[in-house]
Amino acid sequence: MEHKIVIGSITYALKAKDILNGNGYKAHIERKTSEYKNGCGYAVKFDGDVIRAKEILLNSNVKIIKTI
Amino acid sequence: MIYFDNAATSGVKPISVIKAVDNALKNLSANPGRAGHKAALMTSFAVYKVREKVSDFFGGGGAQNVVFCANCTLAANFVVKGVLNFEDHVIISDLEHNAVLRPIAKTVDNLDIAEVCFSDDAITVENFEKLIKPNTKMIFCTAASNVTGKILPLEKIGKLCKEKGILFAVDAAQAGGVIPIDMEKMNIDYLCVAGHKGLLAPMGTGVLIARKPIGRTVIEGGNGIDSLEVFQLPILPEGFESGTISVPDIMGLGAGIDYVKNRGIEKIYEKEMFLIKRLYRKLSEIKNIILYTPFPEIYEFAPVLSFNISGKHSEETADFLDKNGIAVRGGFHCSKLAHNKLKTTDTGTVRVSPSFVNTVSEIDYLVSILKKG
Repeated sequence: MEHKIVIGSITYALKAKDILNGNGYKAHIERKTSEYKNGCGYAVKFDGDVIRAKEILLNSNVKIIKTI
Repeated sequence: MIYFDNAATSGVKPISVIKAVDNALKNLSANPGRAGHKAALMTSFAVYKVREKVSDFFGGGGAQNVVFCANCTLAANFVVKGVLNFEDHVIISDLEHNAVLRPIAKTVDNLDIAEVCFSDDAITVENFEKLIKPNTKMIFCTAASNVTGKILPLEKIGKLCKEKGILFAVDAAQAGGVIPIDMEKMNIDYLCVAGHKGLLAPMGTGVLIARKPIGRTVIEGGNGIDSLEVFQLPILPEGFESGTISVPDIMGLGAGIDYVKNRGIEKIYEKEMFLIKRLYRKLSEIKNIILYTPFPEIYEFAPVLSFNISGKHSEETADFLDKNGIAVRGGFHCSKLAHNKLKTTDTGTVRVSPSFVNTVSEIDYLVSILKKG
């Protein structure tokens, strides 16, 4: 099942992508404005265990705005 | 023209740097961190990779800690104006460039200046320690003086800061790409780097690496994040990159770092110091030449040397050398404090700063011209 985690900046989105890919996910970046109420942000999109993905990112100090 | 003014900016950029800039102008024209189309993401990724390179090179703790800015001066301003408050006490060295002195003097009420000892680092560290007060928030010092070349004992000062719970900021304008700097090992919280000197990138490249947060934004505007919010959050790195960043210059910086790493930072430094040591020895044999530091031992000095011809203003000497095809910088080098220390506020000094592409015969030619003059 496809998941998206909204992350504020492109830098952190790219960091999140690298971290997830390093943990066995196949993550991609996309622009996310419709689900992000503050106006502009990026999301990492991936298939797989979203709870594990969130934990990995939080442990790597990546701030998660929203999970879709 | 023999270019001996690399402390101002590196005179020769490697072909790989030029190619990286050219490639970016041709193939990375989209604005990074704004849109979501392929071109924007490709440029964003390229910029991210350079952030990673910068962080790896300096022990910066991750790409997210790397802020690109126009120059090292701006990086210093971000640290000072983003971190310090009026009531804070700050200690700087007596060799600081105006890029550090001026923003601090404008921002804090309480500033002390520690004397650097050219021949004994332990005394330098003691001089910093003596000035620490209960409200000391930060030590901000140069890694290497742009006037004298003196390298400060960063690891020892960093250790002092860690023991005392004080923030440690470093101006590495003359040291980035010249001597190894490891922020983690040296306990450096904020590192300000000039991309266009030792890292051989174009002018217009500066970097701030922040391993600790910066509490306030300094320049606000569009940064591709939270566009519907009025107030910009000081989140690294984009919180400090308002407006469009210079992608071609950043690609040049990435290529410059690769060049220095591949060539070997120690090898480059040793070559440059060989030239400076040769110059120092030859100048010390000329009667009317004034030198201002002890002999520049390796890892105690960066490849920067100041001198004067007795009885002449430094600008006069620099002009004379220019007429003989040699580029040096005369005057005060944007460093009031260094010239106060050397007691050269009347004459300034002539500064020679070779690069690894300069040669022994160019140094010898400089000496021969000075002997004639």
